[in-house]
Amino acid sequence: MNEYIRAVYEGVLNGEGEATTTAVAAALQAGQGPAHILTDGMIAAMAEVGRLFEQGDYFVPEMLIAARAMQAGLELLRPHLVQADIKSSGKIVLGTVKGDLHDIGKNLVGMMLEGAAFDIVDLGVDVPPQKFVDAVRAHQPQIVALSALLTTTMPNMKATLDALTAAGLRDQVRVIVGGAPVTEVFAQKIGADGYAPDASRAVTLAKSLVAAA
Amino acid sequence: MTLPALSPLSATGSRERLLAALNHREPDRVPFDLGSTQVTGIHVVAYQNLRAALGLPPVTPTLCDTIQQLALPDDDLIERLGVDVRGLFPLNSHNWNIVDVDQGEAWEYHDEWGITHRRPKDVLYYSVVKSPLAADPLTPEAVAAHPWPWTGDPRRIAGLRELALAYRAQGRAVMVKGVLAGIFEMSQRVRGMQALLMDLAADERLACAFLDKMLELKLAFWEMALPQLADVVDVISEADDYGTQTSQLVSPRMFRKLFKPRLAALFARLKQLAPNAKRFFHSDGNIRPILPDLIEIDVEVLNPIHITATGMEPAALKRDFGRDLAFWGGGVETQSVLPFGTPQDVRDNVKRNIEALAPGGGYVFNTIHNIQADVPPENVLAMWEALREGGAAH
Repeated sequence: MNEYIRAVYEGVLNGEGEATTTAVAAALQAGQGPAHILTDGMIAAMAEVGRLFEQGDYFVPEMLIAARAMQAGLELLRPHLVQADIKSSGKIVLGTVKGDLHDIGKNLVGMMLEGAAFDIVDLGVDVPPQKFVDAVRAHQPQIVALSALLTTTMPNMKATLDALTAAGLRDQVRVIVGGAPVTEVFAQKIGADGYAPDASRAVTLAKSLVAAA
Repeated sequence: MTLPALSPLSATGSRERLLAALNHREPDRVPFDLGSTQVTGIHVVAYQNLRAALGLPPVTPTLCDTIQQLALPDDDLIERLGVDVRGLFPLNSHNWNIVDVDQGEAWEYHDEWGITHRRPKDVLYYSVVKSPLAADPLTPEAVAAHPWPWTGDPRRIAGLRELALAYRAQGRAVMVKGVLAGIFEMSQRVRGMQALLMDLAADERLACAFLDKMLELKLAFWEMALPQLADVVDVISEADDYGTQTSQLVSPRMFRKLFKPRLAALFARLKQLAPNAKRFFHSDGNIRPILPDLIEIDVEVLNPIHITATGMEPAALKRDFGRDLAFWGGGVETQSVLPFGTPQDVRDNVKRNIEALAPGGGYVFNTIHNIQADVPPENVLAMWEALREGGAAH
């Protein structure tokens, strides 16, 4: 890793937005390739953030500021990525199911997935099944990710899966679920394709599903 | 469903039972809390269903917490189930001056903190949708200048002394709660959870402006209320949520640096103002790494014992912390067993938890989270029956 890429990497890892954008600008100026800056600077840093989170060194605040720094850097980098025709890891439609207004878990999952170079279509909170169906038609994602915080809204994950089936779209997408009361057993019971207990592991799950597709 | 044969239990001795348990002695049976706080309560829908299942007459329940739609249990139900402790609910943004505005698809209201809460009409709960200090950039000076509620307003406790005396006359123990959520949680509500978490990691001075303000507002309330109430309450509840299901929201290092000193100041003041009341602290999730810290700052009672969270296995908690902490909660798993299990699943779960937590005293039975709307009344009754059977042995 050269000094330009290392500065991007450390900016993201330490959650320093200004340092990250300065480093991205300097790297571009020095002729570093946008894909190189993205992959070896930002994505590698977010992978390290995930690793530190899983091993209990980083907690949600550190993860959030790292994601914020990455987004700041990405903003600057994005036009260059488009120009260089860099492909994303895949597209993911994400939302908190109908009846549930909680969003921080979903946002964190979205940020970490973005940090692994996925394109995220965030439908927000209290998302009715039909809206997921419409989004799958409109965006053609590889994955639909459903979040619920409440025991009382978990059944709407099943309702969303049923709506995708009824619309004939279930075979086109892998559906992953998560949120406080959600478990592996529940995920299997409702016929979801995967479950992850936290944002970092959601990235691992999404990558493996896309790789297997 | 058939009605279980429930015999009314006398209130005589309820207070003594609770105090014995909190003083780490085994009472005649495990004390039972239902509804004495906003974290040990029952949703109004589940409450109505439970009343019907018990054959109690229909009532228009009083809500002690509108945000969470929690019912204040009526005397007849308290009597019927032998609940040992009653709660005082000072007036705050969850039960005072709540003016719902019809926004078409949802109800909304703006509270005394400047927070907007929203409940879609087909949804059970209110959620915070707009925080007053969410906008960046924000300075500590702007936090100080926010029009904060007057927590020291004596109207907040009007009539509570008389109510406490009436509960005592019935033989019950009395719990009193504060008027704002935890230092951490209340800061999240006025700043926005995501923003506050980022402030903690990236702008400590700003984050501390919130934490200091919340401590100040808590002290203002207790310094007004406890001179009036200290001699008629048995337990004082404070709360904050530091745990997640697997870990903590903030690192133990950050907890010790930023939160612990402020909680220590709070508990020290409570001890001064109400030396005879037990200090109860609620935090969901896995808080095992910070339990020694809580003990050090004079927390005496821990709630809710989130038994399925990592590190919160009840027998191990009892073994490691049971000498220093009384446990209040952890009686039945509320994310899967109580709402979705069979009555037999509920009984088995209750029996196991009581066996882990009740020996030697230091235990008050309650669920892990408020009993939600979707919990079948037969499961609540199964819980209660298992408590009556298992709890009598301890």
